[in-house]
Amino acid sequence: MTNHSAKKGIFNASVLQNRALGDKFFRITLELEKKAKTIFSKAIPGQFAEIEVSTLALPSQNTIPPQFTDISKRNVILRRPFSFADIVTSNDSVIVEILYAVVGAATLRMKTLKTGDSVSILGPLGNGFSLPENKKTALLVAGGMGAPPLVHLSGLIKSKCPQTEMVVFVGTKSLSDLAFFDVKPDKFDKTKVKLGEFEKHKIKTHISTDDGSAGTKGFVTEVLKKWILENKPDVNNTIMYACGPDAMLRASAAVSAEFNIPCQVSLERRMACGTGLCQSCAVKCIDKNTREYFYKLCCKDGPVFWADEVVW
Amino acid sequence: MVKETNKIDLSVKLGSVLLKNPVMTASGTCGYVDELDDFLDVNELGGYITKSITIQPRMGNDIPRIVETDSGMLNAIGLANIGVDKFMQEKIPLMARYKTPFFVNIAGKELTDYIAVAEKLAQVDGIAGMELNISCPNVKQGGITFGTDPALVKQITSEVKKVIGNKILIVKLTPNVTNISTIAKVAVDCGADALSLINTFTAMVIDIETRKPVLANRTGGLSGPAIKPIAVYLVNKVYNEVAKPAGIPLIGGGGIRTASDAIEFIIAGATAITIGTAGFIYPDCAIKVLAGIKNYCQRHNISSISELTGSLK
Repeated sequence: MTNHSAKKGIFNASVLQNRALGDKFFRITLELEKKAKTIFSKAIPGQFAEIEVSTLALPSQNTIPPQFTDISKRNVILRRPFSFADIVTSNDSVIVEILYAVVGAATLRMKTLKTGDSVSILGPLGNGFSLPENKKTALLVAGGMGAPPLVHLSGLIKSKCPQTEMVVFVGTKSLSDLAFFDVKPDKFDKTKVKLGEFEKHKIKTHISTDDGSAGTKGFVTEVLKKWILENKPDVNNTIMYACGPDAMLRASAAVSAEFNIPCQVSLERRMACGTGLCQSCAVKCIDKNTREYFYKLCCKDGPVFWADEVVW
Repeated sequence: MVKETNKIDLSVKLGSVLLKNPVMTASGTCGYVDELDDFLDVNELGGYITKSITIQPRMGNDIPRIVETDSGMLNAIGLANIGVDKFMQEKIPLMARYKTPFFVNIAGKELTDYIAVAEKLAQVDGIAGMELNISCPNVKQGGITFGTDPALVKQITSEVKKVIGNKILIVKLTPNVTNISTIAKVAVDCGADALSLINTFTAMVIDIETRKPVLANRTGGLSGPAIKPIAVYLVNKVYNEVAKPAGIPLIGGGGIRTASDAIEFIIAGATAITIGTAGFIYPDCAIKVLAGIKNYCQRHNISSISELTGSLK
């Protein structure tokens, strides 16, 4: 590193743990080399890392699920972006946690990482969430695999903004997709699950699933809207944070506009570099004054945007 | 450790411009000026080729703009850039921080666009030369259509050459032609001080579930390790058929990730080399390649890198 004011870097990370959560999700804990400390101590929720996967081995052929047999033949060359679920920097270590689902050629390789293996990590990248500061209420809306940065954010709000009351809304397709959140099933009614990740901070959590296998049946944004109508939070004293698939973010942006609650969204885009070089992760935005369209980059200007600057 | 007994001369010349080593950034993969600063010291590079600049700002294509392929990637960014005026206001002043020669890649829809950009940049002290992008496969007009037609290459090269003053003129060639040497010869005859090759190969990836191309632009340019052997071949061909007889330097690139890759290009006939796609994965790649080139020269007792250029047996 030649630049002392560097905001990001390439670091070696050693795998402390790579643990399966349910049948398709994993939680990987990485310890970064010590020189990452200065840079990572300033990292915030919503930022992400690009992990090099091209050097990782595939699982043995007979353990590859049939839906991945074709894709497992593909070479991977680009890094893959992952948001942080947690970053802990102390005097002598930097430890980051990343939650991922096995969805393709890259994550199929990541799941073979074992304790003691090393990977190259590029980060922290992009701009993260702004804290609610003195706002009374923070509504966190997580859809599907959009959970990790909100888990990270909830921990930080808890410690930095104790006066802010958080309410979490989590929506997934099905009960099994809640594995990211350290799901704790109820002994008597399996649809009444609790989510350890939010439970540990005593945050009120509303769960919904598309198929009704846990929580309310329906979309997370419907539950959110109902909650706002019933609880009538002071909109000037409330902020929303949303992370998940595009359709869910669009719906969250609509709720934000309808009730006039400011909302930050974390977007996902295909990206080659994560550092603003390749210009592939364009996000169409609108200038509120001139009404002109322009592109921002998800990796550099985002991935966190204000919902009302994005063209949905 | 290899003993530092012999001093290796890594410097190379592109026209009148001296590069202290042959390692450059490839246009469109490294930003405008200072985007790599968190990862490397730009002053250690031989030269820096900026992303393409056009007369008006361009938003670029719709998304998806990239897709990964086996050992490569397709891109169809669509020359997204801030336009020459903003580039001159905001980016040129930053170049003064560095000693490295900057080369500005210029692109356009019409011949007049190229001339207008070149005229403006010709007035700028901070840049050493311009790279003519007549090979971008991802814009509807201009770009590659110029680079595949010898008559247009002749017109655009000679017209731009007239207006660029003391800056050197690099012409970047597309591989999407029947005979790349025909185009190379025209560019050299019309005053190109150096040629750079290759730009990306036009290619397509199809989503078989939707039966649509993955990229919004339908096609994109293939880059990365997948194209390296073809690029090495084309550099060698143009070196033998055009560059060597004319005494014009080549800037070779296409899939370079390592020093070994770079050395292949130099042996094939490249005077300088560019790092492109690999910088997306390893932003400090250029510095590692440079270190590896030094190491190779020491191992092979090469006192001047120019001995290696075109040394293919």
